[in-house]
Amino acid sequence: MKASILASDNRTIAEGEWHPAHSSLSVVARLVEDAGALVVERVPGGDRLATGELASVEVSPRVGSIPRRVNFADGSLFETTDNDAIDRWLLRSGRRSTSLVHRLERFHPRLVVLVVATFLLGSLVYRYALPVLVEVAVAVTPPVVPKIMSVSTMETMDRTMLSPSQLNAGKQREISEDFARIAALSPRGTAGYSLNFRAGGAVGPNAFALPDGTLVLTDELVELAAGDDEMIIGVLAHEIGHVELEHSLRQVYRAAGMAGLIMMLAGDVGSGIEDLLVQGGGLLALSHSRTAEAAADRHSVELMSKAGFDATAIARFFELLEQKLGDRSDTSMLSTHPGTPERKKAILDYAAEVQAKQQAD
Amino acid sequence: MALTDTATLPAASEDWHRLSFTGSGREYFGIWIVNILLTIVTVGIYSAWAKVRRNRYFYGNSVLLGRGFEYHAKGKQIFIGRLIVFAYLVIYNVLLTVVPLVGIALAVLILFFIPWLVMRGLRFNARVTSYRNVRFNFVGGVGGAFLAFLVGPVLAALTLGILAPLASRWMYRYIGNNMRYGTKAFTTDPGLGAIYKNWLLSALIILLGLLIIGFLVFLNMSLIFSLIDKPQSLPPELQAAMVTMGVIGYLVILVSFGIAALVYRAGVRNVAWSSTLFDGRHPLKSDLPRFGYAWVAVSNLIVTLLTLGLMRPWAAVRLARYVNTHTAVRFSGNVGEVFAVSEQDGSAVGAEFMAYEGFDFGF
Ligand SMILES: [Zn+2]
Repeated sequence: MKASILASDNRTIAEGEWHPAHSSLSVVARLVEDAGALVVERVPGGDRLATGELASVEVSPRVGSIPRRVNFADGSLFETTDNDAIDRWLLRSGRRSTSLVHRLERFHPRLVVLVVATFLLGSLVYRYALPVLVEVAVAVTPPVVPKIMSVSTMETMDRTMLSPSQLNAGKQREISEDFARIAALSPRGTAGYSLNFRAGGAVGPNAFALPDGTLVLTDELVELAAGDDEMIIGVLAHEIGHVELEHSLRQVYRAAGMAGLIMMLAGDVGSGIEDLLVQGGGLLALSHSRTAEAAADRHSVELMSKAGFDATAIARFFELLEQKLGDRSDTSMLSTHPGTPERKKAILDYAAEVQAKQQAD
Repeated sequence: MALTDTATLPAASEDWHRLSFTGSGREYFGIWIVNILLTIVTVGIYSAWAKVRRNRYFYGNSVLLGRGFEYHAKGKQIFIGRLIVFAYLVIYNVLLTVVPLVGIALAVLILFFIPWLVMRGLRFNARVTSYRNVRFNFVGGVGGAFLAFLVGPVLAALTLGILAPLASRWMYRYIGNNMRYGTKAFTTDPGLGAIYKNWLLSALIILLGLLIIGFLVFLNMSLIFSLIDKPQSLPPELQAAMVTMGVIGYLVILVSFGIAALVYRAGVRNVAWSSTLFDGRHPLKSDLPRFGYAWVAVSNLIVTLLTLGLMRPWAAVRLARYVNTHTAVRFSGNVGEVFAVSEQDGSAVGAEFMAYEGFDFGF
C-alpha cells in the first residue's frame, strides 16, 4: 500500500481540483502522467476520473499566477494553482513550457528595458510612423475623393449659410483677373481653381478653400478690404496654399490615426487617461492647424512675390483684423487664425527672406 | 458517478462571502508593459491578444470562495470584432467628410443598431466568462436593450439628468434579470427611491460646483464688466487674471461632475447588486463606500498622470481590489450542482463596439 502511494507520487504532475464536464461540482484530485497518457486521479483513493492522450489535452497559457486549466476532450476540467509544476511537466514532455510573452512579462530588472523601449517606440510611432501613414493615405487617395468632398460641402454650405453674392459684376471680374494671375503660377494652374463669390451671412468676412481647388470669397471680406484688392489676393494665395499642401485631407487622416492609436491602447491606459488623451489629441490637432496656417502664409508670400504683387499683402489683412477686432464681436477669424501679431511678424520676416534670395539670384 | 463527497459551494450560512483580488501591481506591471509594447510594435494588431491576457489576469484573480473566474475569449475573436468596428468607423468618417448626408444617415442607422449590438456584446461577455467550470450566459432581447440603452440615456440627457435614475434602473434590470449562471438565473429589482437618494447626493455635488463658479464670477464682476465695455483696453495682468479664472472654473466643473458621476456610479451599483438574487434565494451585496470609491478612482488618475502612466498597473489592481472586497454573496440553502449550458460564444463585434463606446460591465 505504502509503495503504491510512493509510486503514484513520482508520477504526479500537480495537485488541484477536477470538474466533470458541464458541472460546477469538483473533486480534490491530482494530475498524473501514466504511460504516455494524462490521467486525473481522485485524492484520496486514486480512482481514475479522466484520461486523455497528451496531444488531445489543452493546457491554458500562463498569465501571471492565475490558476492553470487542463481541458480534457470529454469536457472535464482539471484546475491547479501550481503553475510552476505544470511548466516543469510541459518542459519535460518536450512541449513549449511557457510562451515567450509570459517570460517577457515576469517581474525582473530587464522590465526597465521594456519600459524604455515602449516610450521610445511610442514617440517614434507618433513622430515618424503616423506622419508616414498619413502621407501614404494621402498618396493613395484617388482625386475623386476630394472632388466629391468639395462638391458636397459646397452644396451644404450654399443650402445652409451662404447666399448669392451682392457684389457688382465689375468688382467680381477685377478680383477674378488678379486671382487668375496667381493661380496660373501654381502647380495646378488656372484650371485647377475656381473662385466663387458668396454673401457670407453667419460666416462673416472670410475666405476658404475646399480640397479640389474650389475657393469661396465672401462679400463681407471684400467690404472689409475697402478697395485693397491686393490684400484680398494675398488672402486667396493663402487659401491656394491650403489646397496645394493638401491640408484638409491630412487633417482627416491624422485625426483617424490618433483615434485608432488611442482606441488600441484604451484598455491598458484606463478610461480616465483615455479621456485626457482624447482632449490632448484635440489640443495637438489645434497646434497642428497652426503649423498648417503658417505654411499657407508662407505660400502666400512666395506666390504673391512671384506674381509681382506685394508679398506682404496678407500681413495687411491681419493688421486690419487687429484694428477691426475691437468693435467686432465676431471672432470666427480669430479662432481659426490664432496669434495674429506673431503671424504678421512671421510673414514680414519671411517676405524679407524671400526678397533677399531673389536679389541674390 | 458518485460525487457526493465533492467540494461544492458551501451550505447555508449567515456569512457573507466576499470576493477578493489576489493579483498584485508588481505582477501585473510585466503583463501591462508587454501588452503596450507589443501593441505598438505590431501597429495595434496585438491589442486583441493583449485584451485577452489583461482580462484573464483580472478575472482569474477575482476570487470567490477560493476559486477564480476565467475569461475564455480568444485573441482572434476579439481581433475580428475590433476589425469590423474599426472598418465601420473608417467608412463612417470618410462618408461623413465625403458625402455628409450619407454619413449622417449611417449614424442614424447605427443608432438603431445599438440595442442589437449591446445585446450581442453583453451576451458575448457573459458567455466567455466562467466560474467553477460553468459559463455565464445572457438571454436579454433587443427590445429590452432598446429601452435600457437608447430610450433611457436619451431621456436622461433630455431632462438634464433628472430622469437618469430611471435609465439606471432600466439598465440594471435589463442586465440583472437576463444574466444566467449555467441553468440558474439572476433576478433584480432596484428600487427607484433608493436610486434617487444617490442621485440627490450627486446633484448636490454638481450644484456646489456651480455655486463655486457663480461665486468666482461674482468676485470678478467688475473685471468682467470692464471686459465687455472695452475689450482691448484690458491691461495684460488683468488678462492673465481672466485666463486663471477661466482655468479654475473649468477645473471646478471637471472635478464636480467627475466626482458626482463616480459617487452616483458606486451608489447605484450598491442599490442594484444588493437587490439581486441568485437562483431566487441567494442574495448578492455591494457595499462600496461612495466617497471611498471616488477617492480611489481620482487618486489613481492623479498618481498615474504624475508617473507618466507607469503606476497604472498598481492603480488598476488597487481599484479591482477595492471593488471586489466590497462585493459579496450569501447562500441561503445549498446551491447544489450547477449545470453548464453549451452555447456558441458568438461574434465579438458587439462587445468591441461596447468597449469602444465606453460601456463597461465587467465583474
Ligand atoms: Zn488658413
